[in-house]
Amino acid sequence: MVTNFLFYFFSNVLLLSALMVIIVQNSIHSVLFLVLSFVTSASMLFLLECEFISLMFITIYVGAIAVLFLFVIMMLDIKTAYFTKDTLKYFPFGSFIGFVFLMEILLVVFKNFKSNPYQNSFLSNFYVNWFDKVDSFTDLEALGQVLYTHYVLHFLVAGIILLLSVIGAVVLTINTKEKTSRHQIVFKQLSRNYKNVLITKNQNFNL
Amino acid sequence: MTIETLIFKEIGLLPELFLGISLIYLVLHGTFLSVSKKYPLIQSSNLYLSILILLMVCFLLYNDNLEVLDHSIFNNSVANDYLSYASKFMLGISCIICLMMIQQYTIDQKINHFEYILIFLFAILGILLLCSSNDLITAYLAIELQSLAFYVLAAFKKDSTFSVDAGLKYFILGAFSSSLLLFGFSIVYGVTGTTNFEDFKDLFFSVYPGNTFDYVKDSALLNVTNPMDYQDNLYFSTSFDASLLNFALVFILVSLFFKLALAPFHLWSPDVYEGSLSSSTFFFAVIPKLGIFVLLLRIFYYSFYGFIDSWRYYVVIVAILSIIIGSFVGLEQRKLKSLLAYSSISHMGYSLIAFSTGTFEGIQMLLSYLIIYMCSGLCIWSIFLLTRLKNNTEKKQNKDLTDLVLLSKSNKMLAIFLATVLLSIAGFPPMIGFLVKIGVFLASIEASMYFVALISILCSVVSTFYYIRLVKILFFEKVLVGKLYYPIAVQRSVVVVFLFYLFLFLFINPSLLYLFSQKISLISVINVY
Repeated sequence: MVTNFLFYFFSNVLLLSALMVIIVQNSIHSVLFLVLSFVTSASMLFLLECEFISLMFITIYVGAIAVLFLFVIMMLDIKTAYFTKDTLKYFPFGSFIGFVFLMEILLVVFKNFKSNPYQNSFLSNFYVNWFDKVDSFTDLEALGQVLYTHYVLHFLVAGIILLLSVIGAVVLTINTKEKTSRHQIVFKQLSRNYKNVLITKNQNFNL
Repeated sequence: MTIETLIFKEIGLLPELFLGISLIYLVLHGTFLSVSKKYPLIQSSNLYLSILILLMVCFLLYNDNLEVLDHSIFNNSVANDYLSYASKFMLGISCIICLMMIQQYTIDQKINHFEYILIFLFAILGILLLCSSNDLITAYLAIELQSLAFYVLAAFKKDSTFSVDAGLKYFILGAFSSSLLLFGFSIVYGVTGTTNFEDFKDLFFSVYPGNTFDYVKDSALLNVTNPMDYQDNLYFSTSFDASLLNFALVFILVSLFFKLALAPFHLWSPDVYEGSLSSSTFFFAVIPKLGIFVLLLRIFYYSFYGFIDSWRYYVVIVAILSIIIGSFVGLEQRKLKSLLAYSSISHMGYSLIAFSTGTFEGIQMLLSYLIIYMCSGLCIWSIFLLTRLKNNTEKKQNKDLTDLVLLSKSNKMLAIFLATVLLSIAGFPPMIGFLVKIGVFLASIEASMYFVALISILCSVVSTFYYIRLVKILFFEKVLVGKLYYPIAVQRSVVVVFLFYLFLFLFINPSLLYLFSQKISLISVINVY
C-alpha cells in the first residue's frame, strides 16, 4: 500500500520534472530538474528492489554527469532571452517526431512479445512462485558475492586501470617547471592578421 | 562473507600478480624519492628497478610448469596454456631489451618523471594479461589497461606540440576502436549468453567450416509434441541464425585491426609514430602486436573457428589492402619513423595472411613471423635510438633518411648490422626474414589462396625498394661529409650484437624457431578439425 503510494508519487514527480527540464527558461533550473528526475527514477528503482542500479544512477548520473552539466552551463553563460518565441512554432513538428517514435516503439513491442509458443506442448510452464522458494539476497549482496569470488581478478585489474588513469592524469597535467611569465600583450595580439598568423622561423611569436 | 573468499586459491597467475604488486611499490618508491629533494634524478634508478622486476617476471614465467589442472583458472577467465606461456615469455624478454635501449634516450630528452617507466610497466601488465585472457571481460580490461598506458606514453612530452597531438589522436581513435570492441562483445554476449571462450567453443561445436548455418526455421520449435524430439531438435539438428553473431565478429575484427594499425584503419599510426617520443614509439611499434594476435587466435581459432567461412573474407581483404598500402605509400616516406610505420603495416598484413589460412601451418607461420617481426623491430629501433647525432638539436625526435648517410664510414659494424636487419625484413636469403616470409607465402598457397599469394609476393618486391634505398644511403652515397655520432654504451651494443647474431643463426638452424611455433600451434590452439 505504502509502496504503491510511493511509486505513484515518484512517477508523477518524475514525469513533472522531466517536463520541466524542457519547459523551464533558466538552464540552471532545468539542470536541477534533471537532477531531480534522476533522483526520483533512482528511488523508483529502489522501490523495485534494484538497489545496485539505483545507487549507480545516483553516483554516475547525479554525481558525475549532472554536475558536469552544471559546470558547463555556468561557464558558458547562456542568455535566456527569446526562447518562448520559437516554442509554438516548433511544437507541431516536435510533437510529430515524438509521435513517430512512440509508434515505432509500440510496433516493436507488439511485434516481439507474442504469446507463449510452448503453451500447447509438453513443456508448458505452470506457475511457480519462485520468490517464496528462494531465500532472498539483496541485489548488492549478490553482486558482491560474485564480484569478490569469481571475478576477483577483474576487480583487481579494474583497480589497476584506475590507478593508471590517476597517475596518467597527474603526469599529463602537473606543471613542474617554475612559472614563466605569460602576460598578454594586447597590442601585439590585435595587430596580427591572417598573413602573419602562421609561425615562421624568424618571427617572434612569444606573445 | 569471510575473508577467505579473497584468498587466491589458484596461483597460476603469479607473474602478473608479482608485476602488479611491485608496480605499486614502484609508485611508492618514486613518490617518496621525488618529494624528498627538489627534483632528483630518479629516472635511472626506476629504470633499473623495472628491468629487475621484468627479469623476475620472466624467471617466474620460466618456472611455471604448466600443470594441466591449472589449465584455466579464476573461474575459467584466464587460460594458462602453452600459447600464453610462450608469448608472455617472449614479451617479457623483448620488454627488457626495449627498456635497456631507451635509457640514454630518456636522459637526452630530459624526461625525469619517474612515471614514464612506470607506465611502460602498466602497459606490459596489460599485454601479459591479454595473452592469457580466456574471457571477453578479461580481454577487454587488459586491452583497456594497455591502451590507456599507450595514450599517456604518446602524449608524455608535454612541451612538444607533436607529442600532445599524437597522444590526442591516439586517444580518440583508440577510444573509438574500444567502443567498437565493446559493441561486438556485447552482441556476442547477447547472442550466446556467455563471455567465456571455452563456452563459445562448446556452444558451436556443431558448426564446422563448410556447412550451412544461415537461417533458423522457426516452425521447428513450435510443432513438437514429444519432449525427446524437442530436445533433439533444439540442440542438435536445428541450425540457428548466425548472422547476428557474424555481425558481432566483424565489429571485433575491425576494432582489433584498429589496434594493429591494419590498412583501412591505419591512418592514425604514421602520425602517432612520428609525433610521440621515439622511446614510446619503439614500445608500441614492436611489443603489443603479439598480444593482440594471441587474442585474435583465441577468439577466432579457439572459439569461433566454425565461422571461418564468414570472417576470413574480411581478413583477407584487409591483409591485401594493408600489404599494398604499406608497400606503395612507404615509397614516399622521407622520415625514418613513418617509413618504419608503413613497413610495420605491411608486415602486419603478411602475418594476417597467415592468420587467414585456417590451417596448422598458417598458425605456425603466423607465430614464427611475429617472433621474427619482434626481433627485427627490436634490432632496428635500437639502432634508431643508438645513433645519436652530435649536432642534432635536442628537441628533434625523428630522423630523416639522410641522417644516416655514410654511417658505414663512421661506424662500420653498426652500418653492417642495420643493413643486415633491413635485408632480413625485406626478405633476402641469408637471413631468417627470408624463411618466415616464404613460409607465409607457402602456407597461403597450401590453403589455395593463390591470388593472395601472388599479390603479396609482388608487393613484397615493391617494398624491398625502400629497404634497399636505406642500404644505399648507408654505404654508397656519393657525399664526402657524413654525420658524427656519440659512442654507444657496452651493454647496449652487446644486445644489438646478440640480435644480429640471431638473424644469421636462425637462418642456419631454423628448426629451433619452427619447433617452438609448431609446439605452440599444436598444443594450445585450437580445434582445427
